[in-house]
Formats: sequence, C-alpha cells, structure tokens
Amino acid sequence: MNTTISTSERVRLTGIRKRYSTGDTAVDALRGVSLNVAAGELVALTGPSGSGKSTLLNICGLIDHQDEGERFLAGIAINGMAEKQLTDLRREKVGFVFQNFNLVPVMNVHDNVEYPLLLLGVSAAERRERVQQALMRVGIEPYASRLPDALSGGQRQRVAIARALIKVPHLVIADEPTANLDSVTAAQIVDLLRQLASEQGSAVVVATHDHRMADHCDRVVQLVDGEMQ
Amino acid sequence: MKWLLFAWKNVLRNRRRALLALLIIAVGTAAGLIGGGFALFTYESLAEMTARDTGHVVVGHSAYFDDDEELPMQNGLSGAGKLTEKFAEMPGVRAVVPRLQFSGLISNGDKSTIFVGTGVDPESEFRLRGPQMTFVSGEVLSSPSPSVPEVVIGHELAKLMKAKPGSSLTLLATTTEGNLNAVDVTVKGIISVGVPDIDKRLVLTALPAAQKLLLTDKVSTLSLYIKDIDQTDTLLAQVKAAEPQLAAKTWLDLAVFYQSVKELYNRIFGILGAIMVVIILFAMINTLGMAVVERTREIGTLRAIGSQPGEIVRNFVLEGLVIGFGGALLGMIMALATTVFLMFANLQMPPPPGRSTGYALLVNYSTPLYLGATLAVLLVSGVAAWLVSAKAARKPITEALAHV
Ligand SMILES: Nc1ncnc2c1ncn2[C@@H]1O[C@H](COP(=O)(O)OP(=O)(O)OP(=O)(O)O)[C@@H](O)[C@H]1O
Ligand SMILES: [Mg+2]
Repeated sequence: MNTTISTSERVRLTGIRKRYSTGDTAVDALRGVSLNVAAGELVALTGPSGSGKSTLLNICGLIDHQDEGERFLAGIAINGMAEKQLTDLRREKVGFVFQNFNLVPVMNVHDNVEYPLLLLGVSAAERRERVQQALMRVGIEPYASRLPDALSGGQRQRVAIARALIKVPHLVIADEPTANLDSVTAAQIVDLLRQLASEQGSAVVVATHDHRMADHCDRVVQLVDGEMQ
Repeated sequence: MKWLLFAWKNVLRNRRRALLALLIIAVGTAAGLIGGGFALFTYESLAEMTARDTGHVVVGHSAYFDDDEELPMQNGLSGAGKLTEKFAEMPGVRAVVPRLQFSGLISNGDKSTIFVGTGVDPESEFRLRGPQMTFVSGEVLSSPSPSVPEVVIGHELAKLMKAKPGSSLTLLATTTEGNLNAVDVTVKGIISVGVPDIDKRLVLTALPAAQKLLLTDKVSTLSLYIKDIDQTDTLLAQVKAAEPQLAAKTWLDLAVFYQSVKELYNRIFGILGAIMVVIILFAMINTLGMAVVERTREIGTLRAIGSQPGEIVRNFVLEGLVIGFGGALLGMIMALATTVFLMFANLQMPPPPGRSTGYALLVNYSTPLYLGATLAVLLVSGVAAWLVSAKAARKPITEALAHV
C-alpha cells in the first residue's frame, strides 16, 4: 500500500476571478488571486469575513467554478472539464473537512471513514485495514462503532480528518475546521491535520479567522476584499 | 449490500414518516389485491356457471350459430344419436347433452303468453345444471317421459299462468312444416335460475315431447361437458377435426354476460389500480421529498467527496424500494388474511344487475397478481425516489453545502 504521493506541486491557481451577481448588485468575491501549494504544505487563508476565503477554497477544491483564471490540480488542467470528470477527480484526489463536520449521521464512525474507499471501489480487506489505521492515527479507534451524535466536536472533527485523508488525497480543503471547537481542541485538530498531511504528502489549504492558527501553518495567505495582501 | 444497509438505516432515520408511507402503500396494495382477487373469483365462478349452462363446447349445424331460420329446426342437427356416441368417446368428455330450442305460446285456457322452451334429456340436464336451478316447488322431469308430457317452468311464468305442480297447460308452437301444433302438458316442477327475464319465459320438457310438438327428429345442439375448463380449446380442436362440416363454439364464444362483466370489472379494477398507483406515488414523493430536503447538506457533502449524482439518486431509490417492499409485503399479508377470513365468513354479495340471487363474496389468491402488484409498487416507489432526488443530486455543491 502506497501511502505517500510524489511530484511536489499540488495546486496552482493563477488570476482567479469570481463575481456573484444577485439581482442588480454584483460582488467581486475574488479579483485575480494566484496561489501555489506544494505537497505536504499547509497553507492558511485568513482575512475578514466576506474577504473570499470560502470562495477560493471551493474553487480550489473543484466544487465551484471561477469566472476567469486557470486551475491545475496535481498538474492536471481543470478548465473545461465536465462535471462528471470533476467529480471523479475529487473522488480520487481531494479530501474535505467542514466547519460543521458534515458526517453522515446514520453511519457509524467506521462507515463514515470507509465511505471514500467504497466510492473508489477498494476491496473489503484493504478497506478494513486502511480504516483501522486511519482511525488509529486520529486517535478515535475506540469509538469506531459509535454514531457521530455520540461524539464530542473534537472527536467528530477527527473522524472527518480521517475521512478526508484515508484516500491519500493530493489536496485537503478545510473551511473553518476549528470554528466550532474550543481553542485547545482547535490547536490539536490543526496539529493533527498538519502532521498527517505532511506524513503522506497531501497539500492542505485551511480557511480560518483565527490568527493563532497561523502559528501552526507553513504559510499564511491574507485575503482582503478578494485580493491577496 | 452496503448500500442497501445504508438505505435501510436512512429509512429508520425518520421512523414515523417511513411507517406512514409504508402503511399507505400496504393499504393500497391490499386494496388492489383484494379487488383484483375478487374480480378473479368472479371471472372464475362466472366461467364455471356459464360453461355449466351452455356446455364447454356446443356443436350445431354449420349455419346454426350464424343464420336465422325461416322455419323451426331448419338448421337443426340430424343424426344426433351417432354424433353423441362419437363425441362421448373423446378424451375428457364427461357428458354429451342434446338440446332442442323452441318457442311459442303457453296457455292455461284463460290467458296465454310467450315461452322459450328447451327440449332436454331429463337425466343429464338436471344433473349438470342442477346447482343453477332452484326448485321453488315440484321436482325434476321423470325419465322416461310419461304419455302426457311434463314440463318444468320458471317461477315467474308459473305465477303468470297461476300454475302449481300438477296443473295442466297447453304449449302451442310452429312445426318444421310451418303449421301450428299444440300439446297438453302437466307441470312437474317450478324453478328459478336467478334471472327474472329467463324465469318469466322458461319451459323445459323432455326432448321426445319437444320433437313430437315440432314434428322433427333433429336437435338444435349437442353440448359437450368436460371436467377441466382449461381443456376447452383442445376439445374444440378435436371436434372441429372430427366433424368439419358442423359448427362448434366454446362456452366463451357464447358467454355474452361473462364477457361484459369481465370487461366492466377489468375497467373498474383497472381504475382502482390506477388510483392506488397515484396514491402510492404521492405518499412516496411526500416522504422521500422531505428526506431529500432535510438531507440537502449531506447530499452536498457526499457530492464534494466524490459521489456522482447518479450514486446519490441510487441511494434514494434504494430507500424508496425498501419502503415500497415493506409496504407491499404488509399489503400482501393483509390481502391474504382477508382472503382466508372470507373463506370462513360466508358473506353474500347482493344480486348483480338483472339477477335475483346473490353470490358468495370470496377473493382468489393468484401468484401472478401478487407478483405483479409487488413489481408495480417497487416500480412506483423507485420512480418516486428518482423524481424527488434527481434534481437535488444535481444542485450546485456549494449551494447544497450552504443549506441549513
Ligand atoms: N452564493 C453567493 N451569492 C452571492 N454572494 C456570495 C455568495 N457566496 C459568497 N458571496 C459573497 O462573496 C463574498 C466572499 O464570500 P466568502 O464566503 O468567500 O467569504 P469568506 O471570506 O469565506 O467569509 P467568512 O469568513 O464569513 O466565511 C462575500 O461578499 C459574500 O457575500
Ligand atoms: Mg467562509
């Protein structure tokens, strides 16, 4: 089982622009943002509310489209891809960690973490082994058969990190992963993300309001009004 | 299997809602199965009844079924004795019964009215058609016929003629030569066949008496009876092969009432079935529609981590199938319980239009009907699930994730 990935550049965004038009008002959420993230690198996106962090993350994670600019993921040009191909790319190469954890409530911890491997058609034996390992690495294997509702916020976010990392993604997108956690837990979560990502060489982009998070990151990118500072 | 388990867990996520949909489906399925089973029972008993009336295969002169006669018995069948022997040898044939149809006036000396008569072989006729004739008074024709011929008449006709068993009446009919002939008869029995229009005209007499009245040695038809109604077409083919110069028809060809009832019931129960389908469709759309809306963020999450829209839809379709199958199963149990209950309850239906006797309320079990209903329910459930989830599964992911 190969748990690391090679070629160092994971993400390249150049001149990304995004405008939201609602009725007769238009918001320029991103005004020409460029960003490169290397393998194993943890980049923090900070900036005031409405500065365009989530918009940039969504475009970076292939769940939204820019109006202008170019995107590459693991050297693959994304522009012009059909929705189905984008989904396939996300399935293979992108992991997500959400502010509200977004675990599937009817699935226990084990099944939530296993889900991405099911989508990838990994054999049952390999799934069992990889899920167990992932649970161990985030420190929640005693809770494998619990439902998400029976876990604390920090524990849930660990499950979400295991779910995001189990497929050894090229890129992990985390939008405010610690906003619903107390500061001690938040620090633990960021450290965990950072440690696991660098171990297996996944690039991580985290959006956060929290300036203290910056200390735990390799690089901090500040967005103001859709522009990088 | 994993996905089915996932669907099952999601169904249990909102038990009350799923249970409500399941019950609606169960009741709809049961109603469809009971209605359909009742229709099948009716078809079956009507078929038996009709076949008992006419015989399974009826053989006549080549022109008998199609052409109008200018003189009585012009299209009658001669050599009935020989034919009877021949038909009786055919496999499965249990009786060959001669009948002579005639009509004329019946009189009690004071007043007269039209009758529709049949000359019959007393012994076999009453044995075969017995269950359909209720004797109001008197008894069956004696065999062999006495010197003063006997008649059995319908009870409405008896009322009109003020006749009782033992009363004397006169039959007046046109002979095969076109003259009028009369014969005095004694009333032996008074019956009801359950159809007022027939009971008002019905006269049965022994075949020789009828032949004597009409001055003929022919019969109108020979009716062939078999045990198994499903063998009718085989027998018909044999008869046609053996006697190609004669005309032969099955009970079904002659069963106007059976066919119109079947057509009516098919339509009624078809509409009932369609209504059930619509109800089940709406129940499913409602239940799964709510689930889809509630789980919009989950849909967005699963899409983000790499599920194709089709995979999302498949999960909801599986959920629909789980609920649909549960409902169909419960509905089948309810329908079976009703079927068994009716077997013991001995309930009667009121008489159908044009009849004066009711009939047993029973419901048939039919494997194709149950299978068909299950498939229909599954299809409707699957379609409903697809309808409500297809759009949500293609919603922009960022929008789905922002849903609260
Ligand atoms: N779907 C949308 N429709 C219209 N405007 C939008 C939409 N999404 C974002 N915006 C606008 O785009 C701008 C950037 O929003 P974005 O959510 O990217 O900011 P953010 O930095 O993530 O903010 P926060 O820290 O509050 O999460 C904001 O002005 C926001 O109002
Ligand atoms: Mg945001």
